[in-house]
Amino acid sequence: MDWQAIALTVKLAAVTTAALTVIGLPLAYWLATTRRRWRPIVDAAVAVPLLLPPTVLGFYLLMSTGPDSLVGRLYERLGGDSIPFSFEGVVLASILYNLPFAVRPFASAFAAIDRRLIEAARCLGASPLRTFTVVVLPLAWPGVLAGLVLSFAHTVGEFGVVLMVGGNIPGVTRTIAIAIYDDVQALDYAAANQASALLLLFAMVVLTVTYMLQRRVVQL
Amino acid sequence: MLARTLAAVAAMAAAAVLIPAVQRPLTGPQSVRIAAAADLRFALEEARARLSARTPPLTVHATYGSSGNLHAQLRQRAPFDLFLSADVAYPEDLVRGGVANEGDLFTYALGRLVVWVPGDSGLPIERDGLRALGAAQRIAIANPAHAPYGRAAESALRGADLWDDLRARLVLGENVAQAAQFVDSGAADAGIIAKSLAVAGAMRDKGRAWEVPHDQYPALLQGGLILRWAQSRPAAIRFRDYLLGGDGRELLTRNGFGLPPR
Amino acid sequence: MSRLDVDFEFKYGRGAGIVCRWRHEFDDGRVTVLLGASGSGKTTLLRCLAGLERPQRGHIRFAETTWFDAARRVELPPERRDVGVLVQDYALFPHLTVEQNIGFAAGAFAAPGTRARVAELLETFKLRGLEHRRPGQLSGGQQQRVAVARAVFRRPRLLLLDEPLSALDGPTREEVREELAALLRSLAIPAYVVTHDRLDALTFADRTVLVDSGRIIQEGLTQEVFNRPATPVAARLVGVDAVIIGRIAAIDEGIATVTAGGREVKVNVHGEVGSEVALCIRAEDVVVARHESHELSSMNRWHAIVRSETADGPFVRVVLDCGFRVAALVTRDAWRRLSLRPGDAAWAIVKAASITALPRT
Repeated sequence: MDWQAIALTVKLAAVTTAALTVIGLPLAYWLATTRRRWRPIVDAAVAVPLLLPPTVLGFYLLMSTGPDSLVGRLYERLGGDSIPFSFEGVVLASILYNLPFAVRPFASAFAAIDRRLIEAARCLGASPLRTFTVVVLPLAWPGVLAGLVLSFAHTVGEFGVVLMVGGNIPGVTRTIAIAIYDDVQALDYAAANQASALLLLFAMVVLTVTYMLQRRVVQL
Repeated sequence: MLARTLAAVAAMAAAAVLIPAVQRPLTGPQSVRIAAAADLRFALEEARARLSARTPPLTVHATYGSSGNLHAQLRQRAPFDLFLSADVAYPEDLVRGGVANEGDLFTYALGRLVVWVPGDSGLPIERDGLRALGAAQRIAIANPAHAPYGRAAESALRGADLWDDLRARLVLGENVAQAAQFVDSGAADAGIIAKSLAVAGAMRDKGRAWEVPHDQYPALLQGGLILRWAQSRPAAIRFRDYLLGGDGRELLTRNGFGLPPR
Repeated sequence: MSRLDVDFEFKYGRGAGIVCRWRHEFDDGRVTVLLGASGSGKTTLLRCLAGLERPQRGHIRFAETTWFDAARRVELPPERRDVGVLVQDYALFPHLTVEQNIGFAAGAFAAPGTRARVAELLETFKLRGLEHRRPGQLSGGQQQRVAVARAVFRRPRLLLLDEPLSALDGPTREEVREELAALLRSLAIPAYVVTHDRLDALTFADRTVLVDSGRIIQEGLTQEVFNRPATPVAARLVGVDAVIIGRIAAIDEGIATVTAGGREVKVNVHGEVGSEVALCIRAEDVVVARHESHELSSMNRWHAIVRSETADGPFVRVVLDCGFRVAALVTRDAWRRLSLRPGDAAWAIVKAASITALPRT
């Protein structure tokens, strides 16, 4: 078993999920509550990785963050190395690619909350932040947890974007999915088999847990 | 409820911090990161074993892919020390593009092309050569767009006037190792692949190979390059010198490569 | 003494909107009822006051604070207006206990000040013993008390209540209405109550504002508004159960004879012979009899057919057809003794003084 690839994958998924929590919760809350006219554009931008092949995202990321790009030069000046083919680059790609898997369950959980509860909290003097943490999050937590679990799992199983943006560098960007691809090309079917079975088991467990969470209703 | 969600997030954040930094274990004076053409897979695995046994040991980390794709990554300054391409044109392009020095360019082998079929195949490749492929349902080759072996296979088929007939039956691998894997797994019933993959490693005892005569495709002159951003230039030089030295030449020959003209 | 100075316009999308203008001054504990039919815009009006909707134009000022001013781009968010709001169906937090709901406004449940205030409110609102229940485990009346207790926790400077009784069923509503009236008096916080039920206004409003189609059609002391509705629409809102259009046929000693539906109606009216008037008759003022009696002071006695009877709290609402329709509100007991059925002939009797006549313009 390629423990290095497994550890790297878990680390990538954990960092991605943590980042998606920080970015995704406010974004989803905004999407669920705003009445701004350009909301559909933001909705579409969040969901677009669902329809795009990973190669498109990978291609744009390579082009926009490469060492000769504006972003790449800025990053280098700030003391960074290079974004493509680095762990940081893969994290960035994973965050973008997994945005819908986190934000959509979050947003639908938030949208399901009675608006009047939010208004009541505001009228009782609660700031938007306190309203969010004391009223919205506790009521929406099954959906939030489902989003976190899904984005973690989806990062673990990600392939195309990681391969394109990260290449296949052991210990840096070679995740378990890429290690399997590599094992197959090396005709090392036994190793590919082991890792694949592990991923299959993981995916089954994750989906079972997710569906259990979705069936669960907040007890009132 | 909220506490549970927050705990989960906290656990993930903790995991992110606590999982040992697997990011940069590959650098250091006696370790070399190689972006290698897929046909080198078995040869380099053998080289890796030998070099790790030397004093001081040299650790080899290799990533395999099609030369064209690796070249594209290196233009984005992918973190490797050494590039071993199946076609010298790619490292030459990097030199022209200003990301490497002329003096760091070298040639190390000639790639050989074979037609490979599984052991139980009825295709008479030994008798009919490329023509035997007329009876095959699916033929695996590497993608000619960015894999040198794919271009060699295409040119051999064109030379034999088979390209137009067989074109619809070709299965393209991302690189020559994937093409080999397609036929190894039975997904394709014949492949035009690197000899280095057919004669060594897992495929050696599983099938039959027929070597395509060298005059039927442009020479696959394999070139390498030490990259300017190498973390350990001495290690890269050490590996290059090994490959070009007697020991390396013997290893390459035994693994199905020819040697470049001096 | 504080003042609520309101002058704004709110538009829904492209359609009609709400125009609102008043300047109310009140001593502590004044209750103003906004009375209107459903869809009249009264809830939206309240939401504008609470800061939950943003008017397109105008201003809202409370005491010395500007809550909203479109021209100056001032908009105080709801949490900074220092109002207590009770929304329809109460919107209690389902995951928090009664205690936590009431103390929500404190920010920290465990603070000693919070505990004391919560205990005080539990006492005032007769919620002792229920502090650890969730809202789902309470009756409608209890939920309402929790919601009001929660709204007054911070001792807001103004209370805004949206249909505080509409979530309750008949008998409970009567009971809770009394309680709420007493409570609003004792809290000494000026309050605005939105309702479609004139009994609410009659029970606890010092001042009544009538809202129709997004406009304020009349406002004033409750008694004045109910006794002297300015227009036929206002008359319907304050519960005049029949509005009859007729024409003045003659005037004698200040009492006009108005013909409507082939009958004569005697009424006090300012107008000229030949002009049209709207006659407003409350169900409360109509007497039903089996036989005509000449030994009554009432000038209006109309022969009628009983059309329908429906229960209305402790009363029965009887609709009578006298050529025009009037409703009568009689006690159940009286109705039983009359033993009348729909289709039966009867007499409707109304004093001239209890009919309001509005000139038609």
